[in-house]
Amino acid sequence: MIDARDLRKEYGDFVAVRGSSFTVDRGEVFGIIGPNGAGKTTTLKMLAGLLDPTSGEATIAGYDTETTEMRRRLGFLPEESPLYEEMTPLSYLDFFADLYDVDPDVADERTHETLDELDLEHRDRKLGDMSKGMKRKVAIARSLINDPDVLIYDEPASGLDPLTTNYVIEFTEQLAAEGKTIVFSAHNLFHVESICDRVAIMNEGDIVARGDLAALQDEYGETRYHVYTTVDVPDATRVNGNYERVVESMAAVEETREAAQAAGGEVVDIRTEESSLEEVFLNVADAGTRGTRYVGEDAT
Amino acid sequence: MEWDKLLRVARWEVTKNAGGLDRRTVAVMALSLIAMGGVAAIAVGGGGAGLDDGLYRVGADDASPFYDVAAADGTFVVRDPDPAAVERGEQELLFRGTRLVSVPRTPKERAALDEFRSSTERYNDRTLARDDNQTAAFPVSVTLVYREQAGADVLDPREDGGAAGSDSDSDDGASGGGTGDGGGSDGGASAGGSGGSLGEAGGGGASLSGLGARLTGEVQGGTPSDISPPFPFESLVLAFLYIVPMNFVIQAYGSSMLSERLNRRGELLLVTPASRADIIAGKTLPYLLGAVGVATAITATLRFGGLAPGGSPIAVLAVVPLALLFLAATFCGAMFARSFKELTFVTVTITVSLTSYAFVPAIFTDITPIALISPLTLVVMDLTGQAISPSAFAFSTLPPLVTALVLFGLGAGLYREEDMFTQRPIPLKVLDALSGRIRSRRSAAKMSVVLLPFVVVAELVAIAFLFVLDSVSLNVFGTNQTLGVLLILGVVAVVEEVAKSLHVYAGYDAARYERTVRSALGLGALSGLGFFLAEKGLLIARLSDLESLSIGQAALQGRPRPPASRCGPSPCCSCSRRSSCTR
Repeated sequence: MIDARDLRKEYGDFVAVRGSSFTVDRGEVFGIIGPNGAGKTTTLKMLAGLLDPTSGEATIAGYDTETTEMRRRLGFLPEESPLYEEMTPLSYLDFFADLYDVDPDVADERTHETLDELDLEHRDRKLGDMSKGMKRKVAIARSLINDPDVLIYDEPASGLDPLTTNYVIEFTEQLAAEGKTIVFSAHNLFHVESICDRVAIMNEGDIVARGDLAALQDEYGETRYHVYTTVDVPDATRVNGNYERVVESMAAVEETREAAQAAGGEVVDIRTEESSLEEVFLNVADAGTRGTRYVGEDAT
Repeated sequence: MEWDKLLRVARWEVTKNAGGLDRRTVAVMALSLIAMGGVAAIAVGGGGAGLDDGLYRVGADDASPFYDVAAADGTFVVRDPDPAAVERGEQELLFRGTRLVSVPRTPKERAALDEFRSSTERYNDRTLARDDNQTAAFPVSVTLVYREQAGADVLDPREDGGAAGSDSDSDDGASGGGTGDGGGSDGGASAGGSGGSLGEAGGGGASLSGLGARLTGEVQGGTPSDISPPFPFESLVLAFLYIVPMNFVIQAYGSSMLSERLNRRGELLLVTPASRADIIAGKTLPYLLGAVGVATAITATLRFGGLAPGGSPIAVLAVVPLALLFLAATFCGAMFARSFKELTFVTVTITVSLTSYAFVPAIFTDITPIALISPLTLVVMDLTGQAISPSAFAFSTLPPLVTALVLFGLGAGLYREEDMFTQRPIPLKVLDALSGRIRSRRSAAKMSVVLLPFVVVAELVAIAFLFVLDSVSLNVFGTNQTLGVLLILGVVAVVEEVAKSLHVYAGYDAARYERTVRSALGLGALSGLGFFLAEKGLLIARLSDLESLSIGQAALQGRPRPPASRCGPSPCCSCSRRSSCTR
């Protein structure tokens, strides 16, 4: 559905994106993560046709990103989407529906349906009088007014309170479940981890790693073993009447078992813990690599 | 461009901004319009004429043929002839029979004499027009004068009235209505000439050609300082009426355009299927229609309210390119400005510049052909019932129209995500706007062509501002030149060189070109070639009378016209229409 090939963006001497390549299949949720200034937003804007790539190209549903046909199939939500504050949600959505050539009756039905799902009340109130969370919901409704096949969401929950954030993330998950193809960026890696099938990690304009989450964890993450013993062993802490030692290899687990037995005790439980995406991300960032490392299915 | 999207954006622009206007703003705007209408009614209508009513007092008894002339013109009050009253300054003119016995000394007396001449011509025209025998009423007379061509007396054949061999006062006789030029007496031509007949040739004061000749004929200079009172108040008010609403419109338009850029509000429009052209045109259309609508309303009010003798769709059509120019300049300004504070500075600059360009020349509609550089002059001419030739219309409207289109094109180049929302200083934005159009070396030539309308407008404006210095003579390397000519040559050189090089500089600044001497030479040549070819567009200036002025000729042909010969008591110098002397 989305095919980006060597997207590069330069501003004079500054290179914002060094050559991003990735594909996103229909119905897939693809996350782009990275620190500030990594090139995430620039990449998303090149995909949305807002920025002309210095080199490289991208297509959405087979259409070049500069074409009107592509725009008809796209719903874009920028990180900040200031609305026309003199308008009401209904007039605002009606205006955009018109620009997308949505039949007025269909638009009306879709508007109310989406606002119902987003639990947005006070639809005749001016946007300028609404809270940030309510405005964000209107912006999300706008991105859906043309019933797009592809959604590009840049930090959809940015700056929202936790309640609204959860609401927005759940709604995005719901859209993904409905089969929308979504490209999603977020600072909060928990959100990415919870809804994305695959992830690209960007740093300083490069996609430094790309793949499905499990493969990324295998490659860049760590598996930690929490070994619980009945007796004290080196580096253990007391937890609920037992002693817990956290180690990072099976050899260390075996070593802990032997230490416990030597002390007259035994191992009562071993639990494994995978690295979070946040840790994966930090590991990738620490590696400071150039060029993309493909993992999992992306490696093939 | 998709019309449905354009109109949708236009409708949205109206509803969006209508919601942003509070009652107080609407009330202030309404009061301003009412006040303007009041001023117009007073100035243009009965009140306007009333300002001149009884301005000059003429002493003439009812046996004098000039009695009826003065009585028929509200500008004059007829009094019993009284030399003592003239001495006391209570009468400006005193006639005995057909003879002017008072000697105009004060400016007001001279102005009264000028006005009385015009009034007499009009009176005679009216009288003769009623005559059954029109051939007899407007006879054609030809006066041949043979003069030696030698030394300093050689007359430039291009000069009005300067051609050797023959001369014609035919127009004098024709349009002057036989007011007595008599085929050669110049008596009345010299301002303040006393005792002469009132037959200054020429009639047809409304003719721009005639005005051009006035400027280059015996009335030296033709600058505003030469204007005798009364001041062209009617032209001023009419031009004012049309220019003021433009300034309201561009304020609203500039704010709307800038608000799209602040906080990235316009970003979402850019990802819709509407194109940049749809968005820009759609957002501009309501303001253009507003400006044209106001112009239409003013014209209709003046015309059907009986406040102006003329007024037709031509007046409204003439406003369109001017409104577009105001909007285009504001659009570019809004694309360049980084904040509302900066936009205020930009719009004030635009207001002052374009108002000077459009308003000031239009005040002198009946004075000088330079007035035609402003489309408002057409409006004033139309409202005062003067005929407008297609060439005059084209000359006045094409430069602002094309300039507006170019400005919209340059601004549209910035109406994209990566330029709209960046906070770069205005000069860099200007360079961005230019470099955005540069793709290859050929762009250097293309941009020279694109920028030519600016050159035309800048040079016309320079002429308008500098022609007042056309009467100041200087000795330059032994030749007699006017200060106006020298300055205009300097301005033209600067304007044209900037137009040829600015986009090339922008191209280098944006790293579109390789920084080598060879590249620079090639680009310079291409830019010059483009400019040379496009400069032929300046031929449009020939549609006007500007070349009848030495400063106009200097600007448009790059060489000054030799100083006009001083008028002596030659029959030729009595011509007030250039056409009557042109071979």
